[in-house]
Amino acid sequence: MQALLQLTAANIRSFVRDRAALFWTIAFPLIFIIMFGAIFSGGGDPTRTYGWVDLDGSARSGELRAAFASVEDVELVDAAQDAALEQMRAGDLRAVLVVPAGYGAAIEALATSPGPPTSIEVYTDPTQTNATADTYRIVAGVLDAVSLAISGRGPAIVPAPRALQTQDLGFVSYLVPSILGMALMQLGVFSAIPLVADREKLILKRLNATPLRRWQLVGSNVIMRLLIAILQTIIIVGVGAVLFDVQIAGNLVLVGGFVLLGSLGFIALGYVIASFARTEDAANGMTSVVQFPLMFLSGTFFPIDQMPAALQGVARAMPLTYLADALRQTMVGGAAFSPLWVCAAVLAGFLGLCFLISARFFRWQ
Amino acid sequence: MPVMTSAVTTDRDAVIRVADLHKTYGQTRAVDGVSFEVRRGEVFGLLGPNGAGKTTTVEILEGLRTPDSGEAFVLGLDVHRHADALKARIGVALQTAALYPKLTVVEVLELFRSFYGRGRSAAELIDMLDLGEKRTTRTQDLSGGQRQRLAVALALVNDPELIFLDEPTTGMDPAARRSLWDIVESLRRDGRSILLTTHYMEEAEILCDRIAIMDHGRVLETGTVTELVTRRFRERSVRFDRIDALDDTRLAAFAGVSSVKHEDGEVVLFTADVPATIGALLAAVDALGREPENLMIRRATLEDVFLDLTGRALRD
Repeated sequence: MQALLQLTAANIRSFVRDRAALFWTIAFPLIFIIMFGAIFSGGGDPTRTYGWVDLDGSARSGELRAAFASVEDVELVDAAQDAALEQMRAGDLRAVLVVPAGYGAAIEALATSPGPPTSIEVYTDPTQTNATADTYRIVAGVLDAVSLAISGRGPAIVPAPRALQTQDLGFVSYLVPSILGMALMQLGVFSAIPLVADREKLILKRLNATPLRRWQLVGSNVIMRLLIAILQTIIIVGVGAVLFDVQIAGNLVLVGGFVLLGSLGFIALGYVIASFARTEDAANGMTSVVQFPLMFLSGTFFPIDQMPAALQGVARAMPLTYLADALRQTMVGGAAFSPLWVCAAVLAGFLGLCFLISARFFRWQ
Repeated sequence: MPVMTSAVTTDRDAVIRVADLHKTYGQTRAVDGVSFEVRRGEVFGLLGPNGAGKTTTVEILEGLRTPDSGEAFVLGLDVHRHADALKARIGVALQTAALYPKLTVVEVLELFRSFYGRGRSAAELIDMLDLGEKRTTRTQDLSGGQRQRLAVALALVNDPELIFLDEPTTGMDPAARRSLWDIVESLRRDGRSILLTTHYMEEAEILCDRIAIMDHGRVLETGTVTELVTRRFRERSVRFDRIDALDDTRLAAFAGVSSVKHEDGEVVLFTADVPATIGALLAAVDALGREPENLMIRRATLEDVFLDLTGRALRD
């Protein structure tokens, strides 16, 4: 146990003192997020475009529509309720306002004698808190003004909040799980380089002349990488949340589970590379050859369904596709490319395969 | 010119017993029937040129390589079957110091200390190997000699009964070499057994109680330095600066002299009876009213033994 802890500490020290490793695992993904986030944040969202569903069709509902339409920047799209909600789900509308049948009659009654306020339904996506707050601010302003004009007293109309889970993520929300997946992939694949370097420098041979067990050696490497994976997750998600307002609405246990499963799989891939690379230079080259296709063909930067059909087939063969997909689903509630259990099964299978290959071919000296 | 190695006995005090060890890499017979024994408390040297099979032999004994055939017992344990138990009790310095480049001296020592249930503290070893000024230096910034010293310190971290030092002074300057020799001496005084390999004749002569001379994967001869030398060179040489008045015929007539040679302005008399030859020489020189300059009596060296055994000089 003491040996495992000391060796893990030694690995962490070596890692932290290696500027190149620090850059690739911490700085590189952050640069991606900040760069893409700065370019795309705010761009994708439709600004104050609301669906307008009028189930009442009275003069009073017409007045209300006019009141909303007069607010600066607000654009109303008239539609039937189902169509409006569908558009919102697809990300074309920020909110949907529904005026219920009987609204006009209720307002008429309130104008003459006091009574309980009537309501209109307001659909927003609570996971997009900023947009939701903005919508309710607009709605409250309009309803207060209209209420005052009608009764001269307290609120005549109040919003009835409705939640609608949308699948369309802002680009940064799409990007954060992708970048996290990419960073975990790199962290794992790059484990090949110090491993081959230690073998080349005869450190593995020297360790083999001590009572240290091989599982302790491998275990300390894996523990070190998993700790860094957790750190990466916190940093990347934190930066996404603080700088770009990416909402983490998922199940943290599931997120953590996929972070660990994905990291283990790619660490095992690093051992596969170390099984076949004889020199540190060769390991460097092989990690590049492995990581770039993974990075660009796994829907990291663009949704897979926007790729050409041929590349979509390639993407389906990439293990990173399933890690990023699972992280998107569990972190920000993104649309599923594959069901979660398929993602878990693919990643577990990938881990098993890499483990078997490296168990068969890895050489200590 | 195969020479019989000393017979393998089942000495109870043997810390290493090797019998007819073989290891082949492709076409190369790296170890080709090696047998020897190291007794408890002795410094035993494997002496031979690079490629003689010294390192392969040692690495088999350290449990790092599997022999093709033959027996190898270390501390009474079969090396191949009980490698794990053995590794806790031996200390190893590889031919090339293998160190985590980004860790400091004290960090590496504490790391290796954690692999063993018992041993010496980092502070003790730093003191012993005189690494105090470098204790917080990363190993990548150490000089060659400092790296070697740290590698030896790591070999001592578990306070082992038996220490393997593979070419421990290669790349060291003379001062560093002497200080390492002092450390080996103190380990011997402390009762440790040491197996070291070297291709430095002087190192073998100064440090080793017994030596096995290796070449081409075989042990050519084993014994103390005196045994190795006197077994084949019974004569000694008497040397002095040339004196013109003494010609070769007079020199050859001195008692005990078998032949006369000249080397770099020196006269070399080979003799089986040193006192008689010296007596005759001193009398003759005294008669001339002079004194012999740089008079020296030398026996043959390991270098001469190696040359005689292999027909080649040991030096690279």
